[in-house]
Amino acid sequence: MSNRSLRGKVAIVGIGQSPSGRVPGRSPLDLTADATLKALTDAGMDKSEIDGVLTGNAFASSFHRFSVALSEYLNIQPSYSNTLQVSGATAAAAVNTAAAAINAGLADTVLVACGDSLLTGMTPDMAIRAMTESRDQQYEMPFGIPVANTFAMTAHRHMKEFGTTSEQMAQVAVTFREHAASTPGAQKTDTITIEDVLTSKMVTTPYHKLDCSLISDGGVALILTSAERAYDYAQEPIFILGGGEHYSHEHIFLMPELTETGAVKSAQKAYDMAGISAKDVDVAGIYDCFTGTVLMMLEDLGFCKKGEAGPFVEAGEITYGGTIPTNTHGGMLSYAHPGIPAAWYHFAEVVKQLRNSCGERQVADAELGLVHTLGAGFSTQATTILGKESTL
Amino acid sequence: MSEQIIQKPLPTVDGDSEVLWDGLKEGKLLLQHCADCGHVQYYQQSLCRLCQSKNLTHKPASGHGKIHSYSVVYRAPGPAFKGDVPYAVLLVELEEGPRMISSLVGKDFDALDFDLPVKLQTVKISDDVCLPYFSLT
Repeated sequence: MSNRSLRGKVAIVGIGQSPSGRVPGRSPLDLTADATLKALTDAGMDKSEIDGVLTGNAFASSFHRFSVALSEYLNIQPSYSNTLQVSGATAAAAVNTAAAAINAGLADTVLVACGDSLLTGMTPDMAIRAMTESRDQQYEMPFGIPVANTFAMTAHRHMKEFGTTSEQMAQVAVTFREHAASTPGAQKTDTITIEDVLTSKMVTTPYHKLDCSLISDGGVALILTSAERAYDYAQEPIFILGGGEHYSHEHIFLMPELTETGAVKSAQKAYDMAGISAKDVDVAGIYDCFTGTVLMMLEDLGFCKKGEAGPFVEAGEITYGGTIPTNTHGGMLSYAHPGIPAAWYHFAEVVKQLRNSCGERQVADAELGLVHTLGAGFSTQATTILGKESTL
Repeated sequence: MSEQIIQKPLPTVDGDSEVLWDGLKEGKLLLQHCADCGHVQYYQQSLCRLCQSKNLTHKPASGHGKIHSYSVVYRAPGPAFKGDVPYAVLLVELEEGPRMISSLVGKDFDALDFDLPVKLQTVKISDDVCLPYFSLT
């Protein structure tokens, strides 16, 4: 890579999470600020050191500039701030952007945070409608297309082309539920079976209720700083080794191929920058808005061949002892899904894994991690590769 | 808020799309044809997405297409669609090439399949708006 690579230039030195799941009576800013204070404590850092703030937007908050509102809430006056909006891909896009900003000298230490109260701050209908309104007003929304539907149609075509089954998709939900059962704070921990998934209420074919992510409240904060400063804080720094993004279309009907997504390109860029390939990754956080989404990402991120994710998941390859333990916290399907902040949990979990601080759910010898976030019917794709000092 | 969330979303017509929505009121689904590179596109915009030419003309689609993918919606995306569920959202591939999102006329979901032929049927949903739906042939 050129000397413009981000490899090893920036590290995550603090992570914090507010209570998540059902957290009534707390605003999106409150949840995000709570997570921020915990991330500062985790890092052993004073808030005066934060000079950059990046966030996503919160559906249950009326602020258009959530990053600016959060700064005021915390009485921080940053020299760098933005509220990013690339739907579900915002988490990795924000981490990549923060790392780039630090590397370019726009800020020294950036808070990358997001929180929302989708579950108790809005009615279920309002929450689903808010997400649906992210679809185009002219060519998609009038046909009553829920955002779930765009993902459902890609999964459906995947079933047609590769023989992927509903049982294989259900296995993703079952595996992540098993992971959540070992994770303190997970919203759903009761055991489920493939049969439970297949007999849960149909939402939009081929997705049943248990194929769909939860609706939750919660906030997560990450603190990033330069490699030079990273050793001044309390935790082992976890370095950004590579970042890549890809934005292939806006409307689902202009997605080039329903069964191959822009994740192929975003991941390749991130792998190239990090100087690794998929087989080197020890632990992954993969955006799991729906079960079939995970299958398609396992293929596009290079963990298995195109069309083979169904058997791959059935063989136990995304859990402990398998090729790529994924979403060891339980993901959006079982840990929490407060909207845009949901994929911040994937970062928090992969950082915890790389710090070797996961206790009974620790992936043995995890040194290299990947977080992949995506949104808007696979329109937006962002990948980040993380590693311990030993991987530099 | 409650009044706002029970109304169905109607297309917000703009300078690019006016011709499409006007055509639908006459039962025509207009596609843009690029006179320079031959590209055919849905939806209307000021530039050809392939070659950026502004030399575009509108021609009615034949109305024939096939189902590239579909999903039958049982959980309505908000209160406005609660009275309609279940309904099928279709990703239709038009005979001329472009794909588009639409809905199935009727509820014959058992007959739905990939690559099945469908035919355009415009449906009036308000005084000003006709939507391009599709029916099984």
